Amino acid sequence: MNDLEELKSLLFGAEKQALDSITERVQKPETRSADVADILPEAIRRSHQQGRELVASLREPVGECLTESIHEAPQAYADALYPVMGPAIRKSIIHALRGFAQQINETVEQSFTVRGLKWRFEAWRAGVPFGDYVLQQTLLYRIEQAYLISRENGLLVGHVHHDASRIKDSDAVSAMFTAIQDFVKESFSPDRSGRLETADMGDFTLWAVHGPHALLVCVIRGVPPRSLRSDLSAILERIHFRYGEKIRLYSGDTASVKGVEDELLECLKFQDVQPKKKKSRISAALLITLLVLAAALLYFGVNSWLGVQQHRALSAVIDATPGLYIVDIKRDGGEYTLHGLRDPLAATIDDIAASAGIESTQVTASLRPYQSLDPEIVIRRTRQLLDAPSTVTIVPADDGLIISGMATQAWIDNVRGKLAAGSFGMPVILDDVASTDMTQLQANVSEINNVNFFFENESTLFSEDEVKLREHASSIRSLVRSAERLDAAIAIDVAGYTDSAGSVEFNTNLANLRSEAAIRILVNAGIDDELISRSHVVPTGEFGTPDPTLRKIVVQLTLGAPEYPTFTVPE
Amino acid sequence: MTLLNSKICILGDFAVGKTSTVERFVNNHFSDKYLTTIGVKVDTKEIQLTEYVKLKLIIWDIAGTDRFGPVELAYLRGASGYILVADGTRAKTVAAALDLKSQAEERYGELPYVFLLNKSDLQHSWDVSDQRLDELSQSLTNVFVTSAKSGDKVDEAISTLGEMIADRESQ
Repeated sequence: MNDLEELKSLLFGAEKQALDSITERVQKPETRSADVADILPEAIRRSHQQGRELVASLREPVGECLTESIHEAPQAYADALYPVMGPAIRKSIIHALRGFAQQINETVEQSFTVRGLKWRFEAWRAGVPFGDYVLQQTLLYRIEQAYLISRENGLLVGHVHHDASRIKDSDAVSAMFTAIQDFVKESFSPDRSGRLETADMGDFTLWAVHGPHALLVCVIRGVPPRSLRSDLSAILERIHFRYGEKIRLYSGDTASVKGVEDELLECLKFQDVQPKKKKSRISAALLITLLVLAAALLYFGVNSWLGVQQHRALSAVIDATPGLYIVDIKRDGGEYTLHGLRDPLAATIDDIAASAGIESTQVTASLRPYQSLDPEIVIRRTRQLLDAPSTVTIVPADDGLIISGMATQAWIDNVRGKLAAGSFGMPVILDDVASTDMTQLQANVSEINNVNFFFENESTLFSEDEVKLREHASSIRSLVRSAERLDAAIAIDVAGYTDSAGSVEFNTNLANLRSEAAIRILVNAGIDDELISRSHVVPTGEFGTPDPTLRKIVVQLTLGAPEYPTFTVPE
Repeated sequence: MTLLNSKICILGDFAVGKTSTVERFVNNHFSDKYLTTIGVKVDTKEIQLTEYVKLKLIIWDIAGTDRFGPVELAYLRGASGYILVADGTRAKTVAAALDLKSQAEERYGELPYVFLLNKSDLQHSWDVSDQRLDELSQSLTNVFVTSAKSGDKVDEAISTLGEMIADRESQ
């Protein structure tokens, strides 16, 4: 070091050291960039606060930078932007849909169909815009199953479904769907960028929503609204946000994606079945009112019908009842009031009510008595008047009555007495009534009729036959008295018999002798001789041998019918 | 209980017995017509690896071919392993199976596999010499002489593949 250098060192040593240090920092890129890095954020912030010059300066280089980066690694940018782009696109779609709904609203507003007016009323009741309600009504759907499938290997990451859904092996379904997807992509999309997004199968629609690492496949029953796809996209984005890396690396270990199915369950909440519920709630009150009205109408209708039936039944019973002449039937609810005439022998009002199936308390009557000429009442009255026994039948004939059957002689005589007194005012034929007394008398007569009494010799009865004849005479006398009481008479014939020994003349005399001998005994026993006739039975052929069985007499009794005077109705 | 799912493919030339091989022990879910329409049919099979680990194989039965087209290659994507099947009564199908193996490895790298020389029940028309079989056994890791008809060695081969896949996944 020379003197000058030493002097400089003494005078400017500290400054030179600082200058060297600065020179070194400026010349070394590493230190310079470190310095700039320290102040750059603050510098940018200040510059941005001062004005838009910095933005203008950076716009072009940053733009070029981004463009170049996206060209070089588009997938990385797409993956990074996926969670951002979804909501942005969805927002745009919702905006467009709202406009579309409004357009429908305006279209339907101008239509006055019954359904349009009904929907308008329902929308007003529910407090929702009419356009939304129209969409809701026309789109009914439900997500039945949701599959989350790895795009890398087609393995099933998660699967949820409603209980009622019929499920095949979900792993196989997932793999097969991936195979079909690959087949479609390789076969019909030259640049392999195509995707299978929708498939229709009868009542079901299959929607696939694609994410960077997984695709969400939903099996939907019915017609889903387009907006559902953005809802499903949101769910898939959320799944990627939480499980994206795990899904990307998924190789079949189900434990590594635990919890993903909870996210998938959100898909099953998408359904639209509300309109039916609303409909039923609205009609409930009206339905109850209608039911009450119908029940009331039914009650009154049935009651009215029953009343009419009851009235008819009562009228029919009254018409069929002899001796009752009703001029007016009044009905007040279930109560009946009758006005008219009633023969005392006619059925009572209680009996009539019972025959019509009505409580007797329901019927009151204001009836005046009269004498009915209804044949049945006339018979009833006659029977009552004559105190007719049940063995007697009375029937109408022309303008009179025929009495038949059996009765005691006393009853018959009584009736004859009344007939003679003209108590009936109509012809009555009594001839057909048999007297029970006469019948008995006839039986008694038959019992002791045609009895033989034998003779010991020509005109002397055997002693025991004589005793028997006396007893017989006593019985005959008793019967004769009974016949007299009935205005009838018993004729007694005593026939004398002989055998064929002897001449006819001799035998005739002998027979007469025998009958006279017997008649004497009868007369002596108190029998009127006028009632007795004589006869003989004598053989007329050749002389024969004596026959003791023909030495007899036979007492024959004949009961004559009583003779009554005939009665005529006084004019 | 741990449940693992793995996609495997079954590859081989026409009529070597691929479908017959899997049909003996899998749960059929789809009609065979898929093989002739879209060229693949999926079946599943569960294997109990250990007391606590169950492996569900999702088996892609790919329609027979001696050379993959783009569609078939796409079906192999994401597979954890594959079953190569050749017909012992047609020696050329062995070469076809090896060719398919090369194609698969070229596209998707090395994967666990088993090689099934099928139709061992047809010994009278057997077309693969013992020497050729020895060569195969030396060059390939797992060679099984099987019969889809009797089921001989099929279960063993599939189980071996399942264990290989599980080992690989656990590494």
